[in-house]
Amino acid sequence: MDQKSAGLNITIFFCQQIDPEQDVNRRALEKELGRRIRFFPLPCSGRTDSLHIMRALESGADKVYILTCPEGACHYREGNIRARKRIAYTQDLIAEIGLERERVELIALPAGTSSTIDKLARELLAREATLSPSPVRGKLN
Amino acid sequence: MITAERKPITEIKEMIAPYKKVLVVGCGSCVAECASGGEKEVGLLASALRMDAKASGKDVEIKEMTLDRQCVYEFIDQLTDVIDQYDVILSLGCGAGVQAVAEVFPKALILPALNTTFIGQTKEAGLWIENCRGCGDCKLGYFAAVCPITRCAKGLFNGPCGGSKADRCEVDPDVPCAWQLIVTRLEDMGRLDLLCKVHPPADWSKQQGKGPRKIYREDQRS
Repeated sequence: MDQKSAGLNITIFFCQQIDPEQDVNRRALEKELGRRIRFFPLPCSGRTDSLHIMRALESGADKVYILTCPEGACHYREGNIRARKRIAYTQDLIAEIGLERERVELIALPAGTSSTIDKLARELLAREATLSPSPVRGKLN
Repeated sequence: MITAERKPITEIKEMIAPYKKVLVVGCGSCVAECASGGEKEVGLLASALRMDAKASGKDVEIKEMTLDRQCVYEFIDQLTDVIDQYDVILSLGCGAGVQAVAEVFPKALILPALNTTFIGQTKEAGLWIENCRGCGDCKLGYFAAVCPITRCAKGLFNGPCGGSKADRCEVDPDVPCAWQLIVTRLEDMGRLDLLCKVHPPADWSKQQGKGPRKIYREDQRS
């Protein structure tokens, strides 16, 4: 079963450089899935902060993706490398409370990727659901 | 700056387990600089603890607050209006901060979420090093501002041990030999003559053996 059919709440932090038209391109998907999907555009993935990810998980996200530019192709040189370090820190932190590290995943897009954020998000939603809903979700989410 | 590191969450969970209302209190000074107890770290820990409680089906209220300084009464006083609402204060201050809060609120339960470690310097982003032992008898003036007590693994006062290799300490090759630094800096400053002075053993009575130290300044008192 894919992640969309499994009803997982997906949060996507992403570098705006990936899709300059992201503000328009994500609207249809947001309308379709409502609170099941949340996008957080960043000026650079280097702006990723562990606290943002923790808040997303706490707010009911079952899976948090961080989409970055290809390694070596960051517009700000090493933002995506910094993002990777912060993701690793966050994975360690959630592991301490018994959550799966896989609930947070960084994806550095392959070099030459030319896509829109909605297409990328649909590809992620179509991935097989390997995680069950987060135990943090609670009844309200 | 006082440096510290967060305790493992299992240890923190064990400490707060009996309580229902927890206030996580950070400190915006030293421990914020070393990224262990500032506002962001309060958020990270509180968020983790709330998620853990929720996942475990526990009904626990965990709130966040950060004081500019947790070791000074004027800042601690900000807790006065809220402290009664909580069963326990989980402090992300250094050991001095934890004790200062406890002293101001004698009936409140204050628990430490950090392990206070050393007086140090932010060497670079994400790297903090110990460079002062607070010995109470500073001799940096003789040693080109490099402390041999703290930065020499053997704490030698009167010259190097001779064991360094390629300017690195034989005890820990990741650390530069303090005496190499001292000699190089004195040479650069044209003050190699300072090496002729023979230093007696450190007077540790200025640091320890008499209980907690204090500094009293009449001119600073109200």
